[in-house]
Amino acid sequence: MGGGDDLRHAVPENILRVDLTRKKVVKQSLPDELARNYLGGRGANAKILWDELKAGVDPLSPDNILVFGIGPANGTLAPASGRYNVSAKSPLTGFFGDANSGGHWAAELKYAGYGNLVFYGRADKPVYLWIDDDDVELRDATRLWGKDTWETEDTITEELGDPEIKVACIGPAGENLVRCACVINEKTRAAGRTGMGAVMGSKNLKAIAVRGTKSVKVADPEGLFEFRKEANALISTDLFYELYAKYGTPGLMTIYNEFGAQTHYNSKEGYAKKAEDNLYGEVYVERVVKHVSACFSCPLHCSAVYAVDSGPYACVGESCEYENLTAYGSRCGNYNLESVVYASTLADKLGMDTISSGATIGFAMECWEKGLLDEKSTEGLILEWGNAEAIIEALRRMAYRKGKFGNLLAEGTKRMSEKIPGSEKFAIHIKGLDTPAVDPRGMMAYGGLGYAVASRGGDHLRALAALGYSLPGKAKELFGSEEAADRFSIKYAAPVVKFHEEMRAIADSLDICKYITRTALLLPEIMAKLINVLTGWGIDRAGVLRIGERIVNIERAFNVREGLTRKDDTQPERFLKEPLKSGPSAGHVVNLKPMLDDYYRLRGWDLETGYPTRGKLEELGLSDVADELKRIGRLAE
Amino acid sequence: MACSLEHAKEFNPLKSRIRVVRKKLQGVFVPVHCLQCTSMPCAKVCPVEAIYRDENTWAVLIDYDKCIGCGECARACPFGAITYDPDTKQVIKCDLCGGNPKCVEYCIDKAIQFLPFEDVERNKRFVHVDKVARAYLTDKEWAEGMI
Repeated sequence: MGGGDDLRHAVPENILRVDLTRKKVVKQSLPDELARNYLGGRGANAKILWDELKAGVDPLSPDNILVFGIGPANGTLAPASGRYNVSAKSPLTGFFGDANSGGHWAAELKYAGYGNLVFYGRADKPVYLWIDDDDVELRDATRLWGKDTWETEDTITEELGDPEIKVACIGPAGENLVRCACVINEKTRAAGRTGMGAVMGSKNLKAIAVRGTKSVKVADPEGLFEFRKEANALISTDLFYELYAKYGTPGLMTIYNEFGAQTHYNSKEGYAKKAEDNLYGEVYVERVVKHVSACFSCPLHCSAVYAVDSGPYACVGESCEYENLTAYGSRCGNYNLESVVYASTLADKLGMDTISSGATIGFAMECWEKGLLDEKSTEGLILEWGNAEAIIEALRRMAYRKGKFGNLLAEGTKRMSEKIPGSEKFAIHIKGLDTPAVDPRGMMAYGGLGYAVASRGGDHLRALAALGYSLPGKAKELFGSEEAADRFSIKYAAPVVKFHEEMRAIADSLDICKYITRTALLLPEIMAKLINVLTGWGIDRAGVLRIGERIVNIERAFNVREGLTRKDDTQPERFLKEPLKSGPSAGHVVNLKPMLDDYYRLRGWDLETGYPTRGKLEELGLSDVADELKRIGRLAE
Repeated sequence: MACSLEHAKEFNPLKSRIRVVRKKLQGVFVPVHCLQCTSMPCAKVCPVEAIYRDENTWAVLIDYDKCIGCGECARACPFGAITYDPDTKQVIKCDLCGGNPKCVEYCIDKAIQFLPFEDVERNKRFVHVDKVARAYLTDKEWAEGMI
């Protein structure tokens, strides 16, 4: 267990268990083996949920468990160490739900001395948790209920009287159990995906306010200085440094549109010329960006404070990401930048995942186009492609579940399509989670296989196999052939995805950003070095990959326990059957079966069911997990 | 983070001698640190004369053998650049790392630089004059000069 201050470095001291039903807070020392086997963040969250969550619970019932997690890197000089993860069973997918966010909240939690916050039950009236180092208190949040995320943060910091307090909270969408509701910290950073805000809302937990003043020690301070210097050199010479530092993620719009792998019109198209003058990174920077900004300890600084100065879309905010430009822009056929930026700001205030909320609106627009929705069923919303006013109004109705149509939108794409016969074919989601901005038909490993097997559903950040297409030299070194860097190749998709999944699990558990590890600090030997200077564990490349693989497998076990089988590891029908009509990826569909077969073989999972095998689980030190799956008849021997 | 690690061998923003004041949505991110003032108001109010100038680096330093931790210097500082270490109960301030500031070394974009005063003022002067000139010159005049 724990160990004294001098024995353990970088790993947070404690876990906080909060029983909201009984209003009880218990502090425990964070077990050493949890850190050594899962690092922290996403990995530790997954282990806690595997151990403590009963299978089959309703995600929005008090039985669900909500876990916030940070790891050994947070609060230190480790680059981009400002991330945290929030995990629970997802109300969108019914599987492992998990979202990751940046800013300064995670570092503050580290300075307060906590690694994981675990929430059980449901408070009888709205509360928020106030963590002031060792003093932890559940406070009344009745007067915060109904406030948006910005008002909530301002009210709390004023009430507690310290502008340095960091707040993570939900907005009206979370309160109203909108399935894609997210957690927002510091007004503009979102733990966006899989509906974690709805779980928070279902527990009557409005916010977590943190102030930490303790120190974080690392095993080898000089080594960390040296690591940071090397990391800075790798980051500043990386292929993507200029793009991220200059344009932020909006710079990616250029890349993917010119690949013909950009989501336009609910994935009907993969390329649109008009994105050039309206949604490209250069345009975004020129028209709205005011000042660069960065998360905690980040040398990449991909964020920016933006403003639309006047007109109907006047607003101020931070970081309208590439995903947002897609979600409320190209995905909805809307090429009016200012309206997209406005919608993105509104989603931050209402507390909704931009990807899923935009995707649901894009889906509704195709329903409208095909005559499956009309003015009567939308209660007056004219959902024509590119109708910016309608997109913004739809967002509001969704967040407040206003009217029948607002309620329908709030249930998300999958549940909505089940109520609109004939729409299933173009309901673009995997396991209930809307797929992100990149069209998988133009990116086989990254999207074609990566999205299909992601533990949280249609998601790009589980694998984020970005090396594949950008660095042929690295591809040869890592996978034995430059073909692994061909974005249409399916031959190397399985090893490329597996390797990247392991490394993303490491980043999410340390918890550092996947943009600096995207390509610059990707390699396991680099992560081993970082882990060693932080903790002094003496881990090597193989050890790093093993932790990554363990995390992927425990999430798999979680999902299998909830009923996942091979049939869930799939793609929307459109991606499997409808070739892209135009642009540089024209003619392509996702040829999933051979990639999936390879992937299961490589993972040591059963080809027919997708269940993990005992052999693989035991190899990873998870024999107790194998026993549990065996008990419920879901283990491949 | 580099500052805290260099001085305290651990990470704690409260131990950093350089504090960034952030007003995010206003786009204000200002590092506040000791400006090594010529008149040294902190030294003037020190009752035990513990604050002195290092003539080599021009840094204003604290002699901890003399310091009694009263905090008068922190109150006298017009910038809030002298702060308090909650563990050692001492006041702390930027000491320019003996002439090789760590914050400069780890700033990837060279947003922080350590330059002689005359370079700083000269740079400022040129930037200022350029701004004024751009306001009344045409693009052509700016590029080619007044012909």
